[in-house]
Amino acid sequence: MGSSVASLAPRARTSENESEADFALIGHQESWRAAADVLAVLRGRQHTPLPDDEIQDILPWIPPRSVCHVEVASRLGVNARGVYIDSFIPPNRLDATCVHENLGRVRAAAACAINAGAKIVSLGGFSSILIEGNFDQLPERHDTVFTTGNTLTVAFIVQGIKKMCALEGRDLRHSTLLIVGATGDVGSGCARCLAPLVKRVLLSARNAERLRRLAAELRADGIEAEIVTDLNPIGRLKHDAEPRRPEADIVVCAASLPSPSLLLGCIATDAIICDAGYPKNLSPNAQMPEAKIFLGGLGQIAGGLKFSPDFRGILNRHPFPDVVHGCLLEGMALALEGRFEPFSQGRGFITPRRVEEIEAIAARHGIHLAPLH
Amino acid sequence: METVIGIDCSTNECTSFSKSAPIWQDVLAQAVTGELLAAMNYASLAEICNDPEEIADALEHAAGERGHAFRFAAEGRKIGVDVASNVDARHWKRLREIFLGCIAERDFIGCLIVQEIMLESFAVASYARVGRVAPGSLGETFAAIAGEEEGHVEHALAILRADRALDPRRFDDKVYRLHLEVMTTLAKMLAKECKDGHCEVCHASCVKPSLFDVSLSAAELRGASLQQYLKTLDSLGLPGEVTLQWVAQLPV
Repeated sequence: MGSSVASLAPRARTSENESEADFALIGHQESWRAAADVLAVLRGRQHTPLPDDEIQDILPWIPPRSVCHVEVASRLGVNARGVYIDSFIPPNRLDATCVHENLGRVRAAAACAINAGAKIVSLGGFSSILIEGNFDQLPERHDTVFTTGNTLTVAFIVQGIKKMCALEGRDLRHSTLLIVGATGDVGSGCARCLAPLVKRVLLSARNAERLRRLAAELRADGIEAEIVTDLNPIGRLKHDAEPRRPEADIVVCAASLPSPSLLLGCIATDAIICDAGYPKNLSPNAQMPEAKIFLGGLGQIAGGLKFSPDFRGILNRHPFPDVVHGCLLEGMALALEGRFEPFSQGRGFITPRRVEEIEAIAARHGIHLAPLH
Repeated sequence: METVIGIDCSTNECTSFSKSAPIWQDVLAQAVTGELLAAMNYASLAEICNDPEEIADALEHAAGERGHAFRFAAEGRKIGVDVASNVDARHWKRLREIFLGCIAERDFIGCLIVQEIMLESFAVASYARVGRVAPGSLGETFAAIAGEEEGHVEHALAILRADRALDPRRFDDKVYRLHLEVMTTLAKMLAKECKDGHCEVCHASCVKPSLFDVSLSAAELRGASLQQYLKTLDSLGLPGEVTLQWVAQLPV
């Protein structure tokens, strides 16, 4: 393994491997609007778009399958080809009550990736959350490896926070960082990378035991880490008798929420907030006019990205071109590098060293932090 | 409309079905019509087969489908309804014409694609859904026939896979051409509302709005049928992204 020169050399394509995919990206749509857009592209301009009620009736029946071919170019002149596979998890069935059904969909999507001959598969959005720590539940695979892609997501979140702080003239060293969803793979990775850079870190998650373990791990490294049990406007720290405000001035939202529903009260009014959830975490009703909110975990491919059929702006719904979620970019970066390995395997293994490693791989191929928006 | 079997409410099941019987009557009428059409298709198929074994298979399937029609009709009799059939109803007639087009071209593979991939996907999936919710022996019969239909699709799939292996492009083009004709017709039949007027099979007004009363819906039957169709095409090796586009472009 590693970044040998040989692994960077453009691989010749022959008729035998012409149809094989270097990578596969497994994803799902985070909203009915996004699902409608995907179906509209598939339906083509010559057909009238499906009404919303028909979309909600039809989509849950679509079996997981490849939706389009993807080609990504490295600035080194290498390219990699893959497929985007949608698990077609209905946007209203992302909650915990549908875990079994959704796991079945992710398994079926994984089988599609294996059938496509993908050498590496990135698990996007809820796909990775379902599979984290349960890689043994994926179908039997021969030459296909899976990565959650979360390490590159963490890298872009961390880079985004640093960039936004620089833009806003904030000094991380004097900041209090709140991580929502701190015990998840992305949340804990962010905690390990960002906590040493800030004055104090507040950790919030549903699983109290995992929170205690993470806080203890950080404290062992000399970090001031506290557990937050209440994100309401008058937040209380567990060991405090009295509520304290303002609390966090930098926030990373990385919770696994089925819909944007998070309301943050225990933060500074002008906090920098990175919403890295998929679906997004922050409720549209959150009233934070002075906060600097940006979408986190996104990267941009300098060498360009092609979809066939053309799903530009549909599968990557961002105002800037060639912007993709870090979790999906990780698989592409590793494919460009020729490193077909399960780089990110699940909850709790993301360390600053691994983040630096994937950042370097991505940067080598022209994959960088996306413009903040 | 042809009556397959008359009313004979001589069993105890009549009373428990009193409210839902008219709904099951129409569901059964569609099923009987489909089975009789399948029997006619297999009988026609036998006429273009050269291999005696294929002829025997086709005739056996025709007999099997007729048997299914009679079993469905018998279920109607148990609940005291007159199960009619109408293979000349607008959509069913169109499906028969498409099949006969393949027969005219002596296109054995085309016939299998229409009957086994498209029509049977619809039958297997919708019978299975009905089998889950229909009470008593009615549900058991739908579930059992769904299983039997699935069984003989397997045999056809093996033939079709072998044909596709010879020339995937030609095979996929043929499937698409037939898809446009057959699945467009089926999609109209499976639409939540019959936009082209009465289907000429339901005994009174359209049964679709009433399906909720028996824990079914037209949307569910359509979804399950299209899912089964996509999975069947997957098993033949057609690219998933291509077949998804085909299905996405069907009328609703």
